[in-house]
Amino acid sequence: MAGNVITVDRNQKAGVLPILKGHWITLQNLWRSLFLRQASTIQYPEQKRPVSSRYRGIHVLTEREDGTPKCVACYMCATVCPAECIYIESGERPEKTIEKYPTRFEIDLLRCVYCGFCVDACPEEAIIMSRENDLVGTTRAELIIDRDRLMARGKLVEHGAGYRPDDHDVRRPVRLKALERLETEHGIVPGMPAAKAPRA
Amino acid sequence: MPQCSIDGKEITVSAGTTVIRAAEQIGIHIPHFCWHPDLPVDGNCRMCLVEIEKMPKLQIACNTHVSEGMVVRTASDKAKEAQRATLEFLLVNHPIDCPVCDQAGECYLQDNYMAHGLYGSKIELEDKVRKRKLVDLGPILLDAERCVLCSRCLRFEDVVTGTNSLQFVNRGDHTQIATFENGPVTHDYAGNLADVCPVGALLSKDFRFKMRVWFLKSKESVCPGCSTGCNVFVDERDGEVQRLRPRRNPDVNKSWMCDPGRALYKSIGVTERVSGARVRGGAGWEGVSVRAALDRVASALKDAGASSAFLATPQGTNEDVFAFQALAEAMGGKLDFRVGDPQLKLQQRIDNVLQRADRNPNTQGCLDLGLGRDGVAAILSACRAGSLKALVLQGPELLRIPETVDAIAKVPFVVVMATHEGAELDRATVVLPAAMWAEVEGTFTNYDRRVQRLHAAVPAPGDAQPRFELAAAILSRLGKPLGAATAREVFALVAKATPGYAGLDYRAVGAQGQSLAQAAGTAAAPEARA
Repeated sequence: MAGNVITVDRNQKAGVLPILKGHWITLQNLWRSLFLRQASTIQYPEQKRPVSSRYRGIHVLTEREDGTPKCVACYMCATVCPAECIYIESGERPEKTIEKYPTRFEIDLLRCVYCGFCVDACPEEAIIMSRENDLVGTTRAELIIDRDRLMARGKLVEHGAGYRPDDHDVRRPVRLKALERLETEHGIVPGMPAAKAPRA
Repeated sequence: MPQCSIDGKEITVSAGTTVIRAAEQIGIHIPHFCWHPDLPVDGNCRMCLVEIEKMPKLQIACNTHVSEGMVVRTASDKAKEAQRATLEFLLVNHPIDCPVCDQAGECYLQDNYMAHGLYGSKIELEDKVRKRKLVDLGPILLDAERCVLCSRCLRFEDVVTGTNSLQFVNRGDHTQIATFENGPVTHDYAGNLADVCPVGALLSKDFRFKMRVWFLKSKESVCPGCSTGCNVFVDERDGEVQRLRPRRNPDVNKSWMCDPGRALYKSIGVTERVSGARVRGGAGWEGVSVRAALDRVASALKDAGASSAFLATPQGTNEDVFAFQALAEAMGGKLDFRVGDPQLKLQQRIDNVLQRADRNPNTQGCLDLGLGRDGVAAILSACRAGSLKALVLQGPELLRIPETVDAIAKVPFVVVMATHEGAELDRATVVLPAAMWAEVEGTFTNYDRRVQRLHAAVPAPGDAQPRFELAAAILSRLGKPLGAATAREVFALVAKATPGYAGLDYRAVGAQGQSLAQAAGTAAAPEARA
């Protein structure tokens, strides 16, 4: 068996021996945590357990190199969001190359169900998730986080990035399936045609 | 009457019908870009290629007339292959910037790609021909990269407005549409250019970046901007109107609508709306509930009796003015609606497309219902003589005319049903909050005596109520109930009481309206034959 899996015998008969056995285990753990510093618990706010790099924590809006949001305000995340917790208002960027960007981008973290659909839907990798999961506030209003706070979160290195298309592309199997169907049903193989050998 | 078969379905059509229209009649959609039901056929996009038996090559469905015994296949392998190849060709230089394009969601390229394309692009994004973006054409923006050169906008300007400001320039891959020296489009129908554009090349500046279209819910309605009564869709999200869009009606506005009409949605969701009733007390205005205000109006009207006058508004629906008329008749007071003589301008056109000089949507309805009874001048002279004890205004029009201020000042009790706040409301004694056209069910009768239906698209602000409900509430307080609670029921009473409207109900009016002249014609025809 892999990892720390233990096998439990549920058919054990009741009696004094199993109780003593249980006490023995408790004593062992007492010994370990008191004198050997091998406790199973951790000192939570100071210590944190490592979480998966696919962890879906609080969102982050990513930036371009010049510090502006990568987001182009296409509303895909707001469209796909099952909790309807994303609110966007879009405007025109002064430079004409990208045209559109979000003037407001708010996520109501209390409504959010952390499903990660927004990350999947984003065509620009502009919204990703962090590994941060301790959500604390004294009012509801402060847990509706706006564009600037979402972007500033990108600088938080403490928790590291969580769920993002780069790391772990959950859409990959879906895409492969779609490509397979495209080829079998329509006979189309997307992509650039194979380069022909140059004429002699 | 040639008979043909399209995808195995038999259909008989009138001579001269094109294949694309015949297919539409039996519910078969043939993909297209340049074909538009209200524009002349151009046949340049080649997207509607279909296979026709005994013809050696594929034919374009938009410009091929149905002939006897024709067998059309719109989805054969050959046709499908041609449609896909055409689409790929049209998309060769397309920037694929759907995330920032406002057309996304109502774009023919997107729809046709999903339905008929599904190929992989053979062109790298860097190799595409770059064209002009964000060209400011006044009320619309041109993005030449997204254009598929269908020439719908050119034909619209040629045939409908006759302005011809847009033309093709350059050749081959580098063809673009352009105005002379990039000048703005100056006519009143520029919004239609964004509508006819099947892709995101021409976009409305007003709607730009405001909302993704798939969030919008559409309600069928009628534009209240003038007596033409263009059919529109009111597009709203979360109770807020985002835009107006023409709704096709070949008998009224075809697929068009003017820009002043399009801008009318802006007055709906504003903070200056009257959202509650108020009564003038000793110390100025006093906010009261609508019920209390109506009680006050009813008791004042009881005191006034026949020495009262009622002024309806041609901005109101047929239901509104009917209930108002019932109120006037119950009191025995004077009644009219013709402030500024709108009926004189009813048929007068401003341009050769749609707009008419009478800026009220329902002047004809008021005339049909007999609202023009005593004359505004008679009411005003009664005011001046001091013989009126109460004046009920269905709209604030009269209060806006400076010459009538002295006359109105002599009336001790003035009630006004208002939609928007304004300085003129200070001349009233009671202000009742009224719902606007996009917030009520009802009907308008246009200049051509066509009864058309409005649907409530958004909720009215605060305590605002449809005007017919306000009138009905006063009537029931006077002990003479109207006998109808909903707009549908009021319209049944209208149909019963008004000559020419007999037999009409909301079902008969339908989505496209019912012409009274036609209804009279069909009703009279059997007698004529007999």
